Amino acid sequence: MNNPMIVIDKVCKTYHLKSRPEPVRALDNVTNHIDRGEVVVIIGPSGSGKSTLLRSINRLNEIDSGTITVDGVNVTAKKTNINALRAEVGMVFQHFNLFQHKTAMENIVMPQIIVAKRSRKEAEEIANDLLEKVGIPDRANNYPSMLSGGQQQRVAIARSLAMKPKVMLFDEATSALDPETVGGVLELMRGLAADGMTMAVVTHEMGFAREAAHRVIFMDEGAIIEENNPDDFFDNPQSDRAQDFLRQIL
Amino acid sequence: MEMIADKLSIVQSLWPFLIKGLWVTFQISMISILFGSLIGFTLGIGKTLGNVVLEKCINAYLHILRGSPYLVQLYIIYFVLPSLGIAWLSFDSYTAAIVSLSLYTSSYVTEIVASAIFAVPNGQSEAARSVGMSKTQTYRNVIIPQALKLTIPPMASVYVIVIKSTAVLSVIGIAELTRQGEVAIMRMPGDIMFIYLLIAFFYFLYCYPVLRFSKWAEGRFGQLGNDLH
Repeated sequence: MNNPMIVIDKVCKTYHLKSRPEPVRALDNVTNHIDRGEVVVIIGPSGSGKSTLLRSINRLNEIDSGTITVDGVNVTAKKTNINALRAEVGMVFQHFNLFQHKTAMENIVMPQIIVAKRSRKEAEEIANDLLEKVGIPDRANNYPSMLSGGQQQRVAIARSLAMKPKVMLFDEATSALDPETVGGVLELMRGLAADGMTMAVVTHEMGFAREAAHRVIFMDEGAIIEENNPDDFFDNPQSDRAQDFLRQIL
Repeated sequence: MEMIADKLSIVQSLWPFLIKGLWVTFQISMISILFGSLIGFTLGIGKTLGNVVLEKCINAYLHILRGSPYLVQLYIIYFVLPSLGIAWLSFDSYTAAIVSLSLYTSSYVTEIVASAIFAVPNGQSEAARSVGMSKTQTYRNVIIPQALKLTIPPMASVYVIVIKSTAVLSVIGIAELTRQGEVAIMRMPGDIMFIYLLIAFFYFLYCYPVLRFSKWAEGRFGQLGNDLH
């Protein structure tokens, strides 16, 4: 139990954007870890590097220096089979990113067949169970264009869960949703947390952070400024920047 | 009445030749479209792989083909290449026609395929990669199926351009539709206007269904997320 699920060690990342004269320091010597079964919520102002950090964990973003390991596997090492690693790290995006040419069912089935090499029958059984679990069993044969944002995000979560991941990453999973559908998706995420899933969640939902997180990480300008358990963080933030941030959003 | 009977008799006597010409036009254009599309799809995918050297080579190929008239390309392939003395580059007229027209088609198809692939949102490939698909699996199962839909409407327009470009082949003596018409005009120089109209009508018979298909396809496949159900 002592070895953490995710270890982030002295990670740096700088963006050189053509639109900006100066390079942008997205991650500045970030060191942290996420334990097995832990739910960590990462918050901070936009541009603080929280999404970059999250996307570095499954190497959707390359880092410049430092190391990240997931369950003991070095994410950035050349010899790591990144596809095998990504299959074990579920990721949920702000804009769902369902495969537009596939039904809800096929979105969940296809990766299982292609990546996990399951039989179609087994994959469909798993998909049916998951559609039930995320609360939209009647939408199996709908295309993404016929689903609401909340429904699409449920399918996206089911698609990730179908790979039986060790970790789930949520990158502003509710930011693009209509207010009335946010609650349902958060409920689903709370359920996963209660089941013991290891989760890293970038979100602006402070209610979720307070209730579901074991630990809150506050980032600004590419660095972790403060981390604490949610009650202490929200009731008694230590740093000026965290105080400012919470004043503005609460 | 006499005039109509006169024209009808022209149509009657030319009909077999024009049908033969249309058949040659059809064969050459279809074979060229097939080969041109295969080359174009391959190069179009190649252009999107993020390999700078490959992309530069493909761009050079496109610039050469699209920056020069088809007639000149045809002359080079039919008249100039044989003079190099390399046996396999000495094409007969039929082969020269198909080779040049295939290359010409491929230049358009490459651009269409590449831009369709770029039009598929980045999030689609990120989602595919994040569940563990390799780059190849992502292309095959996620990107290309979606991009293909986007290519259908512009592809039909290119095919019509290619079909009409076969008229140029008359200059190297291929007995396609235009050539058949010119032969007919030599026999009946007084009816030049009518015979050209007749030729135009035959091209129209071939191109119109393709254009209609393009219009229909645009409504049906022209955008992402407009599914095939």
